[in-house]
Amino acid sequence: MTKTRSDRTNMTCAEFQDQLPELFESHSDLSAEEHLKTCENCSALVRDLEYIAQQAKLLLPIHDPSPGVWDKIDAAIQREPSPGGGAGGNQPPVRT
Amino acid sequence: MSTGQTAPKPVQQHMRRNPPIAGEAEAIQAAQGGDARAFETLYALHKRRVYSLCLRMLGNVAEAEDLTQEAFLQLYRKIATFRGDSAFSTWLHRLAVNVVLMHLRKKGLPQVSLEETLEPSQEDGPRKDIGARDLMLSGSIDRVTLERAVENLPPGYRLVFVLHDVEGYEHNEIADMLACSIGNSKSQLHKARMKLRDLLRTGARKEPAV
Repeated sequence: MTKTRSDRTNMTCAEFQDQLPELFESHSDLSAEEHLKTCENCSALVRDLEYIAQQAKLLLPIHDPSPGVWDKIDAAIQREPSPGGGAGGNQPPVRT
Repeated sequence: MSTGQTAPKPVQQHMRRNPPIAGEAEAIQAAQGGDARAFETLYALHKRRVYSLCLRMLGNVAEAEDLTQEAFLQLYRKIATFRGDSAFSTWLHRLAVNVVLMHLRKKGLPQVSLEETLEPSQEDGPRKDIGARDLMLSGSIDRVTLERAVENLPPGYRLVFVLHDVEGYEHNEIADMLACSIGNSKSQLHKARMKLRDLLRTGARKEPAV
């Protein structure tokens, strides 16, 4: 079970770091954690992990596949039955 | 103008990374009926995110393009089964993730379970950080450096990191995509960030900023 903030006052670094995944997910202000007030090592770790999560936004997609990918998909779906159950990929749907 | 009635609230679910895309709902419906042009529209709307996921997971343009092709072919075959229970892009991403995982397993880990695919070996995992007080990352990471470090993560860590921290999926969605527990997703993410920190600090030691 996750400990309360006051329970975490006398934690060792290993115990505190074991709790970190849940603490991050709680979206609470970790700077208020008692352990961090006295432990520079864990404070640095928390700052780094928060920074990495923040910088990850830099990696949002920027590349498109080459136009040849669609050409291959298009050629392949011509040979497939239509998802609506028709005979061919470019056939209009048959309404009954 | 106020009518005195409370207007129905728009659905907020999936809004952070899945804002409504103009024309998407119509394209889905048409593609489900076999309209190839509508399917091309869906490809145009989603190719970048699917390709980027494949590229990050494989680190190779040719393989990433092959898997993008495979993911969209699977989409074509399965689109009639999309019922709108989740956002379309989430549903498509799940499909793409499965294509990537299948490929990774075929490539290097043919007999292992998904959980094992997600859990790297001990030596690939992050170290606990007890007493290593030498280098802070803050302010030191640019896109290229981070991209390179992410490439060096074990595949399971990389996948959860990309899905959560880059793409913004929630743990319950990731757990659903990867058929693992929410706790497992949280744990993998934490280990991924710890491992990234190791990699970034090691890289920073090898290549000090000028």
